[in-house]
Amino acid sequence: MSDDRTAVKNPVRLRAIGFNPRANPYAAWGSFIVLVILWQIGSSTGFISELAMPSPVAVGKALWQLIVSGELWVHLAASAQRLAVGWVLGTVAGLTVGFLIGMFSWARSPGVALVSALFPIPKIALLPLFIIWFGIGEPSKFATIGFGVFFPTVINTFSGVDNVARNLIRMGQSFDLSTWSIVRKIILPGALPTILSGFRISSSIAIILLVAAEMIGAQYGIGALILSAGNLYQTDQLIAGVVVLSLLGLSVSWLLGRLDKWLLSWR
Amino acid sequence: MFSSQIRRVARGAMAIAAVATLSTAVAGVASAAEKINIATLAFVSSAPLFIAKEKGYFADEGLDAELTFFRAAQPVSVAIASGDADFGVTAFTGGFFNLAAKGALKVIGAQLHEEPGYDGSAILVSNKAYDAGLTKVEQLGGHSFALSQVGSSFHYMIGNVAEKAGFDLASMDLKPLQAVPNMIGALKTGQVDSMIIVPHIAKPLANAGAAHIIGWVKDYVPYQVGGLFTSTRNVEQRRDVVEHFVKAYQKGVADYRAALLATDENGKLVKSDSTDEILKIVHKYVYADDPEEKAFPKIRNGAMFITKDARLDVADVKKQVKWYQDHGYVSKDADPDTFIDTSFIPPLDAK
Amino acid sequence: MRLEISGVSHRYDQMEALRDIDLTIEPGEIVALIGPSGCGKSTLLSIIGGMLQPSEGQVSASGAVPEGCLNPLTYVFQDFALLPWRTVAGNISLVLEDHKLSKVERAARIDEVLAQTGLSDFRNAYPKQLSGGMKQRVGIARALAVRPAVLLMDEPLSALDAQTRILLLDEFSALFARTGMTAVYVTHNLNEAVRLAHRVVALRRRPGTIKEIHTIDVPIDQRHEGDPQIAAHEAALWELIRDEAIAADKELEHVG
Repeated sequence: MSDDRTAVKNPVRLRAIGFNPRANPYAAWGSFIVLVILWQIGSSTGFISELAMPSPVAVGKALWQLIVSGELWVHLAASAQRLAVGWVLGTVAGLTVGFLIGMFSWARSPGVALVSALFPIPKIALLPLFIIWFGIGEPSKFATIGFGVFFPTVINTFSGVDNVARNLIRMGQSFDLSTWSIVRKIILPGALPTILSGFRISSSIAIILLVAAEMIGAQYGIGALILSAGNLYQTDQLIAGVVVLSLLGLSVSWLLGRLDKWLLSWR
Repeated sequence: MFSSQIRRVARGAMAIAAVATLSTAVAGVASAAEKINIATLAFVSSAPLFIAKEKGYFADEGLDAELTFFRAAQPVSVAIASGDADFGVTAFTGGFFNLAAKGALKVIGAQLHEEPGYDGSAILVSNKAYDAGLTKVEQLGGHSFALSQVGSSFHYMIGNVAEKAGFDLASMDLKPLQAVPNMIGALKTGQVDSMIIVPHIAKPLANAGAAHIIGWVKDYVPYQVGGLFTSTRNVEQRRDVVEHFVKAYQKGVADYRAALLATDENGKLVKSDSTDEILKIVHKYVYADDPEEKAFPKIRNGAMFITKDARLDVADVKKQVKWYQDHGYVSKDADPDTFIDTSFIPPLDAK
Repeated sequence: MRLEISGVSHRYDQMEALRDIDLTIEPGEIVALIGPSGCGKSTLLSIIGGMLQPSEGQVSASGAVPEGCLNPLTYVFQDFALLPWRTVAGNISLVLEDHKLSKVERAARIDEVLAQTGLSDFRNAYPKQLSGGMKQRVGIARALAVRPAVLLMDEPLSALDAQTRILLLDEFSALFARTGMTAVYVTHNLNEAVRLAHRVVALRRRPGTIKEIHTIDVPIDQRHEGDPQIAAHEAALWELIRDEAIAADKELEHVG
């Protein structure tokens, strides 16, 4: 025993290291800045040819031109309207169908089968049909975005409903709550976290589909701007449009983050 | 885009195979035919290329010409700018001028030309709009107009027609629909009031009662529709190849004119000795799925005017560039003189 | 309220869970259901409260319900079943909102049951902020808010640690003694049964049948931890179910 006490003491090595990535907002912004700087250096030195990729300065100028000419706001307003209407239509329909599938046996199997069959169809491939069904005006654009949003929303909603703890529903029944009360006070809030995280996906899909939606008959809109810039080889304007889309995505994501905080404060 | 990648891979493989055979074979078969790759569309507008290929004009000039077919005009110019293809013909658009202004392309000759006396693009209105009283080109102001893309040749044509006919382009509701089939569909169903389209589409539509032709572009703007172009690298480094190519192309144009543009003393299109021969050649590439009796009239309908020797209407091209610049579709620093090269084919005399 | 269980049998697919259960629960009586796992005691509780349709037999209720009773047969759950997105007061309010109560009445009931369960200071807390014991107090408060005729308690202390269990056991015992509540109390813990029940129903397993009904005639408020009389009852109960418990312990799990 005494030998043990007098022996050399080795500190125990800490072994639980790593596997715990932490967020660092400065690094996030820094990565953007570094990328843009490298890109500008590449353009300035001629390593990146103007034909292949416009320089950040050229993109900035194109963006500035869009802002001062007021064109950007016209495009943005047109796109925002399409995004909002299309997303709301797709989301309302998706939530409704998702709840039906989540709650009723008669809707379950047919609904899941149809959604699984239709979800993977690229909505862009259906564009000619949308034109026949909805014309070349705004409705076909709403439909393109709406359909894109609808399917993931359905899937998210019913898996959200599935994930609501059964014991809570049984509890509601044991207190003789009405079906409507159970849906509104137990199932809806219980499915809300899943539904909200689905909103992040569906809003990104809506932005992705904006370009497709604005392929047909759109004179204004960020998607139309990008398309026409592409057709005209105005690559600086094209990238400027892409930057605007990206900023739009970031703003939507921020807004949804706020919504999360507000609605899910109980978590 | 995929097709060009696949082609690149395939060509790489072929190049390796070629190197392998060369190294084993006796070196120095000096007069091997110069390989060229021509980017083209299966349209009547590319007919001189098909004629030159089929009648051996390229081979006569020592060129081993390979035709690569694209489904849209845009990738043709991109393929040449990137060096995937050597020669092409395409309609002039804002996008083409922007790409050319970046220095990778040279316009060296002419493709189609809108010319009084020959069929050209027609101004069509939907039945619905026609019945509602839109019967004259002058009334187009305030109506909707289908076009493929903003800054396309359709856009230029309606802009010029508007100027000449005295209505305001800005008052028109332009509907970019990406592709010609979409434009036709939208016009047929009355979702747009008007459009401009090539004669071989316009005439059948009007004959079938699906739309009304209310005017012709050539009556407002005689206009160089498209051009023959190659890469700047070819002009600088393979000048002899370009010269040989141009000669073969001009022979093709001469055959095209003799067969498809022959007129009688009244200026009416007539059949010439070579018409059937040339139609057969073109039919191999255009409307190949249709039987001759259906395809030949379509080809004739689509056979627009091409200037003698494929001379380029340089003055008009400059005018076009200016229009696109004025409307913000082509950058201000684009200078037609830097991308038009008349050293192979002299320009069309100014009228 | 009197509950009469007559000829109740229940089958899950092939497995016979309960057979021919006859039992009457008198008003003001606390009945504990004990037995090893798999004896069907929770199934029986579900049938009593109308949450499960028995394969055979029926449960009938008779007699008056307390004044202001909104939900005669009211459960208290092992896992509390609290809505995480509602506060303590909100969780209690939930079961009152479907009834025609004025706002004032509702608020009064909430205040009353919060006071009874010592939760007044926690009314605005969310479940995640509460300990297990506090959560079950909310479960009790919620059940009391509807003024039940019979409390159906499904292993209410099983999810709690030993110290909390002792505290809550005392509170339950005080509550039952004070209110003269009728209750059916399912547990596998003999100590809980002998502390709280007037009658302890021991169930035999596979299929679940009543093995014996053991009566404890000591008034509930006079039973204490360590009381030899109570310990004797617990030992007797253990004798009763030991063989069943051993058999249950050695059995391989049938399903998950």
